[in-house]
Amino acid sequence: MSVPEIVVDGRGLEPPEPMERVVAALDVLQPGQRIRFLIHRQPYPLYDLLNRYHYRYETTPLAEGGFAILIFQP
Amino acid sequence: MNPPGLSFEQAPPFSVPLRFFLTAPWFLVSAALLMLWQGPELFASRWLPATLALTHLLTLGFMAQVMLGAVLQILPVVVGVVVPRPRLTAMLIHVPLTLGALALASAFLCGIPVWFQSALGLLGLGFSVALVAINRALWRAPVVNDTVIALRCALGALLVTVGLGLLLGGYFGWGLPLPVVAMTDLHAAWGLVGWTVLLVAGVAYQVVPMFQITPPYPHRLSRGFAPLMAALLAVWSVLALSDWETAARLAGLALAVGVALFALTTLSLLTRRRRKIGDPTLGYWRTGMASLLAGALLWLSALLIPALAQAPQVEWLLGILLIFGFAVAVINGMLYKIVPFLAWFHLQAQLLRRAKVPNMKQLLPEVRIRRQWWAYLAALLLLLAAAVAPAVFTYPAALALGVAGIGLGVNLSSVWRIYRQVIANP
Repeated sequence: MSVPEIVVDGRGLEPPEPMERVVAALDVLQPGQRIRFLIHRQPYPLYDLLNRYHYRYETTPLAEGGFAILIFQP
Repeated sequence: MNPPGLSFEQAPPFSVPLRFFLTAPWFLVSAALLMLWQGPELFASRWLPATLALTHLLTLGFMAQVMLGAVLQILPVVVGVVVPRPRLTAMLIHVPLTLGALALASAFLCGIPVWFQSALGLLGLGFSVALVAINRALWRAPVVNDTVIALRCALGALLVTVGLGLLLGGYFGWGLPLPVVAMTDLHAAWGLVGWTVLLVAGVAYQVVPMFQITPPYPHRLSRGFAPLMAALLAVWSVLALSDWETAARLAGLALAVGVALFALTTLSLLTRRRRKIGDPTLGYWRTGMASLLAGALLWLSALLIPALAQAPQVEWLLGILLIFGFAVAVINGMLYKIVPFLAWFHLQAQLLRRAKVPNMKQLLPEVRIRRQWWAYLAALLLLLAAAVAPAVFTYPAALALGVAGIGLGVNLSSVWRIYRQVIANP
């Protein structure tokens, strides 16, 4: 049975609140589960943190502006 | 897979910018002590030695201190270039700059040439290291965006400011024959309009849309503002030194209009925030930009109405608006964004999944920011009042300035204390 993805909508929030929410989601992320992070601009510091801890991620631009970032367990 | 641009991967150790940020507030306190000591007579002229000491405690001790520390921090992030040996470089800038600012203030107060000579040596060393390190990074930048262009212009202006400052130091320290009045005006204009306004502009292009959730700056402004202002400053300087009064006045008018345009654009962006909840640092940005606009308009009026330029209060008001109303406000507000974020980020980078890291509001509660904000605002209004009625307002202004400085220093140190506690006992 697949675990539902965790959606974190950080659009319109003041930095680093979106990043704080993603980090909180990383803490509860189950094996095989992923995070869908919606954000109004490229979250460069987050990429650094994800790289440092070997999370995989994929960024896609959203049609309505902003980005969706899928984050997977290392 | 990873997009180019801002990255923290090359961010320097937390101690690199922090040493500047934790020192700077105490220069506001030392400026307040100087005001208490000198009293209302300080406001008699901008040329009094004590006034020059006060100015440099604020511009070197507070402004340059934070600005250089912040540039060292953002270079790797915004420009993507690492400053070599960041800890050593930071130390070689921070220590001489701090001692040099104190030595220069003492030199003005006691008037002894050897103090000017030591201040000159210290400041020359600190700024040389800063200019070499930062310039090397800026000209190697792999990403050239509007911020990098503005930073290059700001750095060029800092070079001129420091060069003129060292020459003026040569006048006091060794009796170099120089046109001191004209050179002091150039030194102040390059320092405030060149280095300070252009650096703030370059940083604002990034942080105003990011932290205040506003639309971006109009591209034409963010691309053209800094190079145009730097060119205008150069033209104005040549005209002013060659006594072409009308042409110099025209160039001065253009500069003031440019500054006003930047301030107005930023103010209008701040009214279009997508987030309606009040941000405690919004007040600092609004006050900073309103002061910059008021300063530009006052400067314009003084250029158009020569009688106004003769009044000593106008020079004082202009100095207070630009230094304390604009630069100190924006820097103070930015420090509240930078320091807790860096503490949180460095904790997160070290402790992710191993320990719970306090969030930004736990690192620095908003109520503490708001308390210091009221002290800052009181200090600004009382300083402006003191320029007009020194007998009544000098001491209250000095007290408010001291409280604002202590508040900022204590608030920033408390973030550092929590950071060390969490690192020690995760």
